[in-house]
Amino acid sequence: MNNNQNIIEIKDLKKGYDNGKIKALNGMNLEVKKGEFISIMGPSGSGKSSLLNMIGGLDIADEGTIKVAGIDMMTTKNLNKFRSKEIGFVFQMHNLIPNLSVVENVEIPMYETNTSSKDMRKRALDLLKSVNLGDKIDQKPTKLSGGERQRVAIARALVNNPSIILADEPTGSLDSKTGEVILDLLKDLHKKENVTLVMVTHEPYVGNMAERIITVLDGKCLTDNKTTNSK
Amino acid sequence: MSFLSLVVKNPFRNKTRSSLAIVGIAIGIMVIVALGMITGGLENSTQSTLKAGAAEITVSQAGSTGIESIGSINQTYATDILSLSGVKSTAGILRASNTTTATTSPNSTQGGFGGGLSITGIDSDKLSLMGVDSVNGTTFTNDSTNQVIIGKTEAQSLNKTVGDTINLYGQNFTITGTFETGNFMTDNGIMMPLSTLQDLTTNQNKVSDVLVKVTDNANVTTVSNTITNAYPNQLTTSTAADSANRINQGLGFISTASWAISLLAIFIGAVGVINTMVMTVYERTREIGVLKAVGWKNSRILGMILGESIVLTLIAFVVGTVIAVVGVEVLLTLVPSVGNAITPSFSIYIFLRAFGIALLVGVIGGLYPAYRASRLSPTEALRYE
Repeated sequence: MNNNQNIIEIKDLKKGYDNGKIKALNGMNLEVKKGEFISIMGPSGSGKSSLLNMIGGLDIADEGTIKVAGIDMMTTKNLNKFRSKEIGFVFQMHNLIPNLSVVENVEIPMYETNTSSKDMRKRALDLLKSVNLGDKIDQKPTKLSGGERQRVAIARALVNNPSIILADEPTGSLDSKTGEVILDLLKDLHKKENVTLVMVTHEPYVGNMAERIITVLDGKCLTDNKTTNSK
Repeated sequence: MSFLSLVVKNPFRNKTRSSLAIVGIAIGIMVIVALGMITGGLENSTQSTLKAGAAEITVSQAGSTGIESIGSINQTYATDILSLSGVKSTAGILRASNTTTATTSPNSTQGGFGGGLSITGIDSDKLSLMGVDSVNGTTFTNDSTNQVIIGKTEAQSLNKTVGDTINLYGQNFTITGTFETGNFMTDNGIMMPLSTLQDLTTNQNKVSDVLVKVTDNANVTTVSNTITNAYPNQLTTSTAADSANRINQGLGFISTASWAISLLAIFIGAVGVINTMVMTVYERTREIGVLKAVGWKNSRILGMILGESIVLTLIAFVVGTVIAVVGVEVLLTLVPSVGNAITPSFSIYIFLRAFGIALLVGVIGGLYPAYRASRLSPTEALRYE
């Protein structure tokens, strides 16, 4: 897949909860090209996270079509394999496993890839060095700062070489200075790895770092604007 | 880190809770192993009552309860029975107990299974019918009035050896030899010439039982029936197999009771494991959501939780087994009267059974929490606070 092709294609996507009383997505349309960095913005309950969950294969839509990395998400049976291979998640609350060391946390996604323990360790160490945590590999997450934990989470998201990184409020639990460092890191990795970056945020200054800003309201795409960062 | 290492590492996140779960299951395993070792030891002892060479039939007075320890039948029955078909040899024996024994050693303790000294009077050439195949030292002579041989466990209990003296019925006897039959009742006793014991207990020409050894081709039951038919309402018989069966029946009850106790312990242990693992899954709901988000299959999550449960129970197996083995040994050392009577069994079957039960508790205890964890919706799990 080259950078002119769509890696995400969503048409008239609908998703309801509570027997359809809550319409999280109500005719969402979106196309994202490979290697793009987009931010999804909107108020609480607008459908941002639901959209991210559909793209990441964590949830299945009720109606419409959604294709991610060439896979039809409405019909595919093996969403685990899809997530393992194509998607890297970065959550607001980093969600690291507290009893495992930093390097062991980064290894976690590789259990489904038939990688040997030795290769797993090498890959995890390389990534931790790239996020400047090479000296903290044996520490427990509880001993790290918020920014360091989020860097571990980013390394974990990248460990299986995904084609898309889905970041849900990645700076939401960080102070502004640390948040900037994390955003710079995500941007760098996006450029270096040519990975598609989809970031949900409600902070305009964070959203403005993307190449495109999608505004979502009532489960629909309200605006779709390119920023000055656009290629 | 391998997946197995992860499974072994995870249960120790909450050390207190995991330790309590391990203690709960370990108690159950300890009960299973300890009771297994003791009942196994008793069964082995029972088997030795059927050893080759010993009498197959014991003849007693009809209506006898078997508790009488003094002479109840005439000694001449031993000669009379010998003439019956299928009988190879007979021995009249007199059983007595000497509960007021004073020994010549100031440090020695009063021994015998149940507290008293069990004394059997028997002719020295008939010792094989009691299961005594060989004597360490020499046996007594039939006309001696001051010689005895002593069972191995009784000798240990009284701290006596060949050449020592022992006071019985106010009279000193020299221990000429020790014997070991493998039967804990017999090995906890003393034997002396029949005539000497008859004199000491004023039971001249009387015996408690007549031991009967059948000829090689004879059927034990047939010979037993021949004896009772020959002396109706006078004598009754019991075969060694009957005795062993009676003991085995008793052991069967103990075994059933031990299983009941074990099952209760297992049930409590399993509830503990389920509780621990359910709590674990609740606490780690968000983490399970993350594992699903990074691509873990449901089967891997199920395997992880189930594996953690099995790790807990296998540690409990090791802890429980060690406590049981050490505990039984300490108990038997601290209580010599029991220790001398029972040799605990270390049959691999006992440990395999305990291992199997630990594994089963792990699987049963972990199955529901593991299934629950594997079925969690990733989005709901990630939202879990």
